[in-house]
Amino acid sequence: MSDELEPLRQLRPDNVLPADPGDPTVLSRQKEQLMSTIAHEPETTLQLPDIYPRVAYNDEFAALDYLVSVFGFTELREARMEHEWDGRTQMHAWVRMGAGVVMISHANHDVHRIYSPSELGNTTAIFHVKVHDIDSQYAKAVAQGADVTMELEDAFYGERRYEATDLEGHRWHFAESHDAIRARGGEVPDDPQGGKP
Amino acid sequence: MDESTDAAVIAASIDDPSCFSELFDRHARVIFRYLVRRVGPDADDLLGEVFRVAFERRESYDSCRPDAAPWLYGIATRVVSKQRRSEGRRIKAMARYAAQRAGAEDMAERVAASTDASDDWSRVADAVADLPSAEWDTLLLYVWEELSYEQIAAALDIPVGTVRSRLNRARARLRDTSLPSERMGS
Repeated sequence: MSDELEPLRQLRPDNVLPADPGDPTVLSRQKEQLMSTIAHEPETTLQLPDIYPRVAYNDEFAALDYLVSVFGFTELREARMEHEWDGRTQMHAWVRMGAGVVMISHANHDVHRIYSPSELGNTTAIFHVKVHDIDSQYAKAVAQGADVTMELEDAFYGERRYEATDLEGHRWHFAESHDAIRARGGEVPDDPQGGKP
Repeated sequence: MDESTDAAVIAASIDDPSCFSELFDRHARVIFRYLVRRVGPDADDLLGEVFRVAFERRESYDSCRPDAAPWLYGIATRVVSKQRRSEGRRIKAMARYAAQRAGAEDMAERVAASTDASDDWSRVADAVADLPSAEWDTLLLYVWEELSYEQIAAALDIPVGTVRSRLNRARARLRDTSLPSERMGS
């Protein structure tokens, strides 16, 4: 540490004042209050939207892990349902991003006739997801090995977006508006032409 | 859970809030010491406030950072920054204590010296008492808390270059006060 700053270090209160043992119960008291506040926090579950899709996977457990760890979805854990069917455990789970929710489930050929894109070779829907700070969300997804099918770019209509597929080929389109990017102090091109940010 | 990183603890607390107590156990002591240094007795309640804010923001924690200390320092800094004015008074009070103590400890030298020790310390306090908040925060994280430039940058969410320039400005201010070096012992 350089000399100019040394006098200020010496003025640090615990260097100046006599050693004060302080109140040894402060930490435990504050911890108790904190954990009690946390326990009584209003449920973080949001009400399910009036419309949400049920997305089919052959391995819904792997799909859930992937959506959470790669894309940053949050599972509504208390909503999860597991049941035995066809000699294996199947799961229904709900994940959210912001105010949006999708339901993750096992592909069901008999009753509902829904299939995984990995069986069909195609998909019939794209999920649009508005995210906060798409730059870091994108960086994390890539770091976790996301399969990006459309690179991050600034679209002419005022959004930064990219697209990726998950383990079984469902397509996820992530976007953040240029207004939102500016609002968090990010930079956007004046005249976006679809170039890389 | 002892072996896991802070990032893993925070991630676990998203689904199971009770895991958050582990984060408190790991960092509360150091964060509390920081708060006490800055605001004295008010630190008791602010400690809980820091961890409540951290809990509310746990989903936005950058999981690429295994150590949560800079993040918590950043939250603590924002929580105390409202008290900037009283902090100015506090550092001046510290200067008075320091001068008294110096006076008591080497009375003989003080008599021999031409100036009073209290002048030196109060000049140091005056030089920093009205620093802009951003520079003050940066300075304390560096000098009192001994964080690295990188940790300060993470805590305050600013580029490392900004940390450097803020510290350089603070150094320049303090350089002008130039305490006689023989007074700086003790």
